[in-house]
Amino acid sequence: MIKVVLSAKNKELRKINILGHADYNFNGNDIVCSSVSSIMTTTVNGILRFNNKYISYQEKKDDFEIVINEHNEIVDNLIENMIDLFKELERDYPKNIKIEEEN
Amino acid sequence: MKLLSLNIQLFAHHKGQGSTSNGRDSAGRRLGAKIADGQRAKAGAIIYRQRGTKIFPGENVRRGNDDTLYTTVEGVVKYERLGKDKKQVSCYPTEK
Repeated sequence: MIKVVLSAKNKELRKINILGHADYNFNGNDIVCSSVSSIMTTTVNGILRFNNKYISYQEKKDDFEIVINEHNEIVDNLIENMIDLFKELERDYPKNIKIEEEN
Repeated sequence: MKLLSLNIQLFAHHKGQGSTSNGRDSAGRRLGAKIADGQRAKAGAIIYRQRGTKIFPGENVRRGNDDTLYTTVEGVVKYERLGKDKKQVSCYPTEK
C-alpha cells in the first residue's frame, strides 16, 4: 500500500512523503502506482518549471520526499491539486493508497 | 532541482513481471492401443495401455494391476463390443 504522509508545521504543509508500493498488480501493470507516479511527477515538474527553488525533492528507497520551501499561489494550488487527486485515488483504491496527516 | 523523468511504475514493486506457480506438467503416459485389431500377438504381449477399464479384457486376455490388457495365448487380436456401450478385446489362437 502507498502511504502519503502530509507533514505540517504551524498548520502549514511543510513536507510530503510518498512511501511504499501500491501492490495493485505486478510491475508494469500496476495502474494505481502509475497514477500516483504520474500525478506526483506532473506536480513536481510543474512547480519546478515556475521556479526550481519553490520545492525540493529526494528519492530514497521506497520513500519519495517533497519539501515545500516557499508557499505561494502556484505552489499551494498545484500541491493542493495533487493531494485532491491522491484522495480520489484513495477513495477508489482504499487498499492501495492511504493519506495520513501529521502535525 | 532538476525536473523528474517520468517513471510510471515508480511506486510499484520492483520485481519483474509476475511469476506464476503453474507451468508444470508430467510427461505423457503413451496410453492406448499397442496392437491393432486383426494383428497377430505373441503370448504375454501388451495389447492396450489404459487407466481404468476403457476396454475390458475378453477371451485369452488378462488385466494387469495398472489396468494394462495383455494376451495369455498367441493368436489374433480382436476388439469387440461388450453389451450396449462397452468394449472388450480378445485374442483368438489360430493355426500358424
